[in-house]
Amino acid sequence: MAPKRIGVGGGDSSILAKIANSSIVSQGRNAACDAVYVSKKLLKSTGKAAWIAGTTLLILVVPLVIEMDREQLLNEMEFQQTSLLGTPPPAGGMPMY
Amino acid sequence: MADLLPPLMAAQVDAKTKVDEKVDYSNLPSPVPYEELHREAFMSLKADNFEGLRFDFTKALNQKFSLSHSVMMGPTEVPSQSAETIKIPTAHYEFGANYFEPKLMLIGRVMTDGRLNARLKADLTDKLIVKANAQITNEPHLSHAMFNFDYMGSDYRAQLQLGNSALIGATYIQSVTNRLSLGGEVFWAGVPRKSGIGYAARYESDKMVATAQVASTGAVVMNYVQKISEKVSLATDFMFNYFSRDVTASVGYDYILRQARVRGKIDSNGVASALLEERLSMGLNFLLSAELDHKKKDYKFGFGLTVG
Repeated sequence: MAPKRIGVGGGDSSILAKIANSSIVSQGRNAACDAVYVSKKLLKSTGKAAWIAGTTLLILVVPLVIEMDREQLLNEMEFQQTSLLGTPPPAGGMPMY
Repeated sequence: MADLLPPLMAAQVDAKTKVDEKVDYSNLPSPVPYEELHREAFMSLKADNFEGLRFDFTKALNQKFSLSHSVMMGPTEVPSQSAETIKIPTAHYEFGANYFEPKLMLIGRVMTDGRLNARLKADLTDKLIVKANAQITNEPHLSHAMFNFDYMGSDYRAQLQLGNSALIGATYIQSVTNRLSLGGEVFWAGVPRKSGIGYAARYESDKMVATAQVASTGAVVMNYVQKISEKVSLATDFMFNYFSRDVTASVGYDYILRQARVRGKIDSNGVASALLEERLSMGLNFLLSAELDHKKKDYKFGFGLTVG
């Protein structure tokens, strides 16, 4: 028993070392390293893209949406005013913005 | 002149325009001036984004005469040898006076760093307009002046330009049909002994404007503006230089609402910029400007107030 154990603990000819050095396992290990590398890069570039898209949308879209909402509110208030005062809503005289 | 232009006008004709009435070639409208060829596109694509604080106050003393005070504080870029741009915070105050009359316009501006800028535009006769522009600085050899003489014919415009360091230029633009106008320019600069020639074309309809310009300095500019409604217009621009192989394409929008005006643009150099002008009350405008350069990681923001 003892020599067998010593044999298992070290030396290239032991079963575990053989398994660990076989081509399938080493190929699997390489593939795992590549997968980790690629996924790290993917995460980083997704983060970068999300930052660029987010800040660009923030300055291009958000002020526009805010102003369009205000314009709509103004239109509604005007419509309410005209209908409150009893005048019919303008059909074509006043330019409808 | 027309056969040297790139054949790109045909592809941009709006297919839904109403059938053209028979073109009356003897009564064509006057074309836009040559320097305003790209006017619609540059309204949305070349908005003046600034950095820092800007405050403008204009006071009309008379129906014709007004004074203006303007304060600008913020970092200005200094061109440097290294790749990084150096920004130095500066602040200055500018005082100006404007005189407007139907036939004469005079504008003068003086700044705290000693620069004086003067502009004159006079209608000498019904068809001849003279314009002059002068800038005088403290530093030697940086002052310059330019005179333009514009002649407006029935369906053409011609312009002669004279500058102080032996700069001579001439432009000519002619309406070919109701919608298409073609033009050319020629210039000669004395100090760097260069001369150049360029051609331009502009096609417009109710809903769109397409222009193209080629110059012998290697610059080709093409742009297209589509007016989607009274309030909204979209513009796109393509510039390239066939000597230095620089290409830039940009897309922009311009929303004119009753109380605000929003202009935004995104570029192929990775620059996104926006300018918002909001009318807080009568004569009071609030400005916000933002420019993000993702490639160089340079972000500029500005705010301002315009009174009067």
